[in-house]
Amino acid sequence: MAIAEQPVEMAQRPAEMKSAKPGIDWRGRLLDRAPFLVACLMLALIVAIYGSLQSGVFSLDELNLDTAAALTLMLAATGQTIVLVRGGIDLSIGGMISLGTVIAATRFTDDPSTTALWALAILALGFLIGALNGLLISLLKLQPFLVTLATWSILNGVAMIILPTDGGSVPGWWVSFGYAQLFGLTSPVWMLLALLLFWWWFRATLVGITIQATGSNEKSAFLSGVSITRVNVITYGLSGLFAAGAALFLTTQTGAGSPTIGKDYILPSVAAAVIGGVSLFGGRGHLAGTLIGAFVLTLIGNLVFVLHVSSYWQPVASGVILLLSVLASSVAEKAARGRVQ
Amino acid sequence: MDLVTVNGLSKRYGGIVALSEATFSARAGEVHALLGENGAGKSTFIQILSGAVQHDGGSILVDGQDYRPANPDAAQVRGIAAVFQELSLIPDLSVEQNIWFRHEPRTLLRTVNRAEMRRKTLALLEKYNFPVLRPDQELRRLTLAERQIVEIAKGLAKDPRILILDEATSALPAREAEWLLKLTRQLAAEGRLVIFISHRMAEVRAIADRLTIFRNGSTIAVHEANAVSDNEIVTQMIGRHLDRLYPERIATATDRIALSVKNFSSGSRLSGVDFALREGEVLGVGGLQGHGQRELFQALFGASKASGTIELWGKPVSIANPRQALIGKDGIALVPEDRRGQGLLLTKSVRENLTLSVIRRFTENGLLSRQKEAALVKEMVDFLRIKAGTPEQLAGTLSGGNQQKVIFGKMLLTQARVLLLYDPTRGVDVGTKGEIFQLMRDLAAKGYAILFHSSDMPELVHVADRVLVMRNGGVAATLEGDRISEAGILRAAMLESEAA
Ligand SMILES: Nc1ncnc2c1ncn2[C@@H]1O[C@H](COP(=O)(O)OP(=O)(O)OP(=O)(O)O)[C@@H](O)[C@H]1O
Ligand SMILES: [Mg+2]
Repeated sequence: MAIAEQPVEMAQRPAEMKSAKPGIDWRGRLLDRAPFLVACLMLALIVAIYGSLQSGVFSLDELNLDTAAALTLMLAATGQTIVLVRGGIDLSIGGMISLGTVIAATRFTDDPSTTALWALAILALGFLIGALNGLLISLLKLQPFLVTLATWSILNGVAMIILPTDGGSVPGWWVSFGYAQLFGLTSPVWMLLALLLFWWWFRATLVGITIQATGSNEKSAFLSGVSITRVNVITYGLSGLFAAGAALFLTTQTGAGSPTIGKDYILPSVAAAVIGGVSLFGGRGHLAGTLIGAFVLTLIGNLVFVLHVSSYWQPVASGVILLLSVLASSVAEKAARGRVQ
Repeated sequence: MDLVTVNGLSKRYGGIVALSEATFSARAGEVHALLGENGAGKSTFIQILSGAVQHDGGSILVDGQDYRPANPDAAQVRGIAAVFQELSLIPDLSVEQNIWFRHEPRTLLRTVNRAEMRRKTLALLEKYNFPVLRPDQELRRLTLAERQIVEIAKGLAKDPRILILDEATSALPAREAEWLLKLTRQLAAEGRLVIFISHRMAEVRAIADRLTIFRNGSTIAVHEANAVSDNEIVTQMIGRHLDRLYPERIATATDRIALSVKNFSSGSRLSGVDFALREGEVLGVGGLQGHGQRELFQALFGASKASGTIELWGKPVSIANPRQALIGKDGIALVPEDRRGQGLLLTKSVRENLTLSVIRRFTENGLLSRQKEAALVKEMVDFLRIKAGTPEQLAGTLSGGNQQKVIFGKMLLTQARVLLLYDPTRGVDVGTKGEIFQLMRDLAAKGYAILFHSSDMPELVHVADRVLVMRNGGVAATLEGDRISEAGILRAAMLESEAA
């Protein structure tokens, strides 16, 4: 043990490494946020065009209306964003939204306590089905795409069995939830703010960071002690929960149930996130971007309406915007990488 | 009493035996080196100790109590932390978030307490004199060396009783490596056990109290460090006697210029690099780390942009991307620094990795000739002695050194005759190192032209015909003949007066 008996030399700080420049890396930060900024720019542009064609766009009423129109998508896309940040995808939200609306439309009664119980049951069901998705993905080691495609189909079928065609109804007082006002803002706007608040809190919690980390690099997360199964269960569970929430909100807008309406939210929920700068490869993205993306997609509809062109232009315009966003993020990504090497 | 005692430890992956009946014991307060060839089972052993994988047979005692961690968390609870060879960092989190991942200080709202985390980070970095790191920088913006340092900080953040360093120096520049060696001694003096894995004998010599030698998954010998010679260690590691590490340097360079580079510049990282690499020559690229060596290699291979002129075998070429660099026999091939990031497809087999970029060579009339492919793959696997169960084993499951060999083989199969070797022996065991150097000389004798960077200066001194010393993105000096020495390289790297 000769060496150990020598006096221990304290480790000296080596000379500063070359790339550790002091100061804040502004350009890098800007490039990181480029997709989000592009989304903001698009929204501003669309609002400007919309505002020049239609009067009264810059009013609280318009904000209330548009938010109500966008909130179902926003809720669904919130869950989708969590899943995308995890590096997965959830198609089953389409089935969950349909199922949620038909359960509500067939089970809600004038009795508030029964309705409240059923509403809670729908939320719980959403979480459980999502959790099941996560469990299947982990245990069977299957692609999230395949597993959630299958559950989407199953949930859709169940919804059809419960209510074969659009119909049923929810009580009037339930519908009025969707239009309640406080300080001039309707409940959808308050829910939007609540979503942002939730995200601000969530992404700084252990669960939020762990989901992001797992999406960023699953192997590293595992080596750091993360249980991948648990992460999947929570991630997809939350997605299901938000889809159920979207379904409940949707019934306040339609007053009825529909066994097919959910599919209209599957791809738009992904598109909203991507437009807002959420990476499909996991690890990166924020809800604020997704919500902007949802607004963009919703307002495109309004724009097509006031332009008096065929409504088939809406998907065309959405597609073009999606491509532009993807392009913007890939250009920014390349620029950022060019700097690193 | 021993802090860790391991008996009869076994681990199989399908048909591959990674560990068979390995034994090990170490005490608190010592630096215990773990040595062995590539694929000997060292990383597997530490993955078991740190809970990343579970063993099939045998027992581990920590403090005399049975120890069988189900996951890395369970290992941490018992005071065991590892600095993994493949690193365990999250690209999209910041340096400090990585260091404290899952152990962040919290606020009342259960969110991360950023101020407290910053304070703890700075205190940790200060306590162990870490090289300068910016706590808020995102990890994916860091170089490999910086990441390695973050991984070390992450291990220390858990204040472990047992710290395992798996080839932690292999990605570090000389000064940072030296810092880590001293740090290791300091940790042992604090009463911790440090298990230290490295393929660099000099490092092991400098810090280890004792050493355990693995071969083919079993423990071959345990020595007091001062009671055994280098030769004995190497012989026990590789199971045969190694005559010499460095091959004889026979000048084989001709007058033909294989690669001529003029006024090569790229941003602030490369400024006006000029040199000519001749057929049959091994041209070393040295200097202090971070003076443009990496950028030079990347830019020559077309992986990043640069201005200036390049001539290959007398013809001017422009290389905008790696695809153009690789074309035909007159191309350029690169062994990159970050093998897991750039060199290998981890989820593809050894065969696919070797042949993916040269698939055309096995195609006849549009059909893939599996026999031809298999023959060449076998030749390459035998030639480099790649330790894989079958050529179908996934590259990501090979040991670190064997992954490096696959990259080397992949490059050789391209038939390019200008080779850019960026630290080709990183993480490679001594026996194989010797073979790689011999291979480089053999290739040079066959008319290949080789540009060679190594983070281990003696390699440059003993293998290269000439050495370009880089400073601030330019060539500060070109050393030849007797002037090639470690002192000569360092002097040229640091003194303005040596400028050529
Ligand atoms: N997940 C896996 N699947 C299959 N084989 C594996 C897996 N992990 C390791 N092995 C095999 O186990 C053996 C031991 O590998 P290990 O990584 O422990 O070697 P090592 O001593 O760390 O080598 P090196 O010095 O190259 O890092 C190798 O033959 C390797 O191919
Ligand atoms: Mg290893």
